[in-house]
Amino acid sequence: MNAKKLKKYLPLTEATYYIMLVLVEPLHGYGVMQKVEQISQGIVKIGPGTLYGAFSSLEKEGLIEMVSEEQRRKCYQLTDKGRQVLVGQIDRLEIMSANGLPVRKHLVNTLDNGE
Amino acid sequence: MENKTIRKFKWFWAWQDEAEEDWLREMSKEGYHLVKIGFPTIYTFETGQAKDYVYRLDYRSYYKMEKEDYLQLFRDSGWEYVEEMAGWHYFRQQSRRDEDLEIFTDAESKIGKYQRLLTFLGILALPQVIFITTLGDPPPYEWFSPIRFIIVLIFLLYVYAIIKILMRINQLKRI
Repeated sequence: MNAKKLKKYLPLTEATYYIMLVLVEPLHGYGVMQKVEQISQGIVKIGPGTLYGAFSSLEKEGLIEMVSEEQRRKCYQLTDKGRQVLVGQIDRLEIMSANGLPVRKHLVNTLDNGE
Repeated sequence: MENKTIRKFKWFWAWQDEAEEDWLREMSKEGYHLVKIGFPTIYTFETGQAKDYVYRLDYRSYYKMEKEDYLQLFRDSGWEYVEEMAGWHYFRQQSRRDEDLEIFTDAESKIGKYQRLLTFLGILALPQVIFITTLGDPPPYEWFSPIRFIIVLIFLLYVYAIIKILMRINQLKRI
């Protein structure tokens, strides 16, 4: 798939980014909520209303797919298209972070001096 | 002992979902717990122990959803499904001091809820526009008929509701 088509999904929202990130392996909804909270160090919590909406649109766009069903819970995983989008997002985040870190250092220094 | 039920009539407009959530929570603190909602908006409560239930409302029309998957997600994260009324889904969970209980955890998905509601209101308003502008009166097409007047009033209410919801969406966007 070409880069232009992938670009329309970017940037992902923070919630969507984390949902896709944990779906590199198959997980059901509640598993996604728990794992996202855990790896984001409690910063990102995903409510069921938000997750249901994200699952529906990600599945509709072909970025995730149902791979199995466990006790009436559907397990989803990234598709190839989803993996490509996620790589694109991570690249963007890397640039954001590379731009931000030196500025952060400067900001923290000036804040310290001010006190 | 069997629990007693009471009924209360209360009206909330479509843009007052948060006020409704707050009201239901206050009721639960007084020991009235929502059982069902009849049309037009008669709330049946079960009387019991006072609890601090946080209520949350989602708006979703049935034909577009897989209800079992939907409810499973809510159940797994501790939400009890109380009632569905005209596309509104009522959930509750006992409040915990250390945690904000939300079913929508970002602005985008909260906006999504109001957009679904807008779509529905838009579809409902459409026949009225057609009625007002073209049909509805027998010849010789008097412009000021009582029916037309009532329909125009209802239509204006729709417009007001749509504006209120758009304002809510705008407010969420600014956060």
